[in-house]
Amino acid sequence: MAKILIPTPLRQYAEKNNSVDVSGATVGEALASLTTQFPDLRKNLFNDEGKLRSFVNVYVNDEDIRYLQKDATAVADGDTISIVPSIAGGLC
Amino acid sequence: MIRVHPEPWTTMVAHAEATFPNECCGAMLGTADGDDKTVTFALPLENAYTGGQEDRYEIRPEDLLRVEREARQRGLDVIGIFHSHPDCDAYFSKTDLENSCPWYSFIVLSIQKGKFHHANSWLPNAEQTKAEQEPLEY
Repeated sequence: MAKILIPTPLRQYAEKNNSVDVSGATVGEALASLTTQFPDLRKNLFNDEGKLRSFVNVYVNDEDIRYLQKDATAVADGDTISIVPSIAGGLC
Repeated sequence: MIRVHPEPWTTMVAHAEATFPNECCGAMLGTADGDDKTVTFALPLENAYTGGQEDRYEIRPEDLLRVEREARQRGLDVIGIFHSHPDCDAYFSKTDLENSCPWYSFIVLSIQKGKFHHANSWLPNAEQTKAEQEPLEY
């Protein structure tokens, strides 16, 4: 099993767990396992089309899945999956 | 309500004044009990925006990954993000809203002529269409 680390503000949707063990051979399957266990997380992570929201990045260990095989990135037992937002802004 | 302890507040203001006339950015760590948040540690981050930084900031996701790990090591939570508005008020701009993440509190520090002037905290809604002001104590 892999482990998904839950960011602080989302723990309220995951029964206050700071990490969740998930099944699945790919990132897509692991995230599906997570949102099956905690359906309230789905709208925070995915848009209406079922794609990750624009500001949501996913890392397997230290690697950003955008530079791997995205949802199809392989996940092995003992891997740690992190959910990390993109944040930017400006005064104009 | 978000309360920032004196030590992290000093760190945030010093970072914002040091980066003037550019925008600064950083993360706030602490504890949260529902909507009642306390910031006990501030972590300045590099503004990664590659254009003019006098009116833009960007945080690298890998820096936020590091912040999340540091928070776990310290037994704290990531409560929010801070950034500065040089020579401008501490409102939450359209750019801030569209590029934010609706999971966190966002404190904006107004730096006028290089010195701290005032600050506000904002909570973007889930759709990132508007931000509600959050009571801020420092």
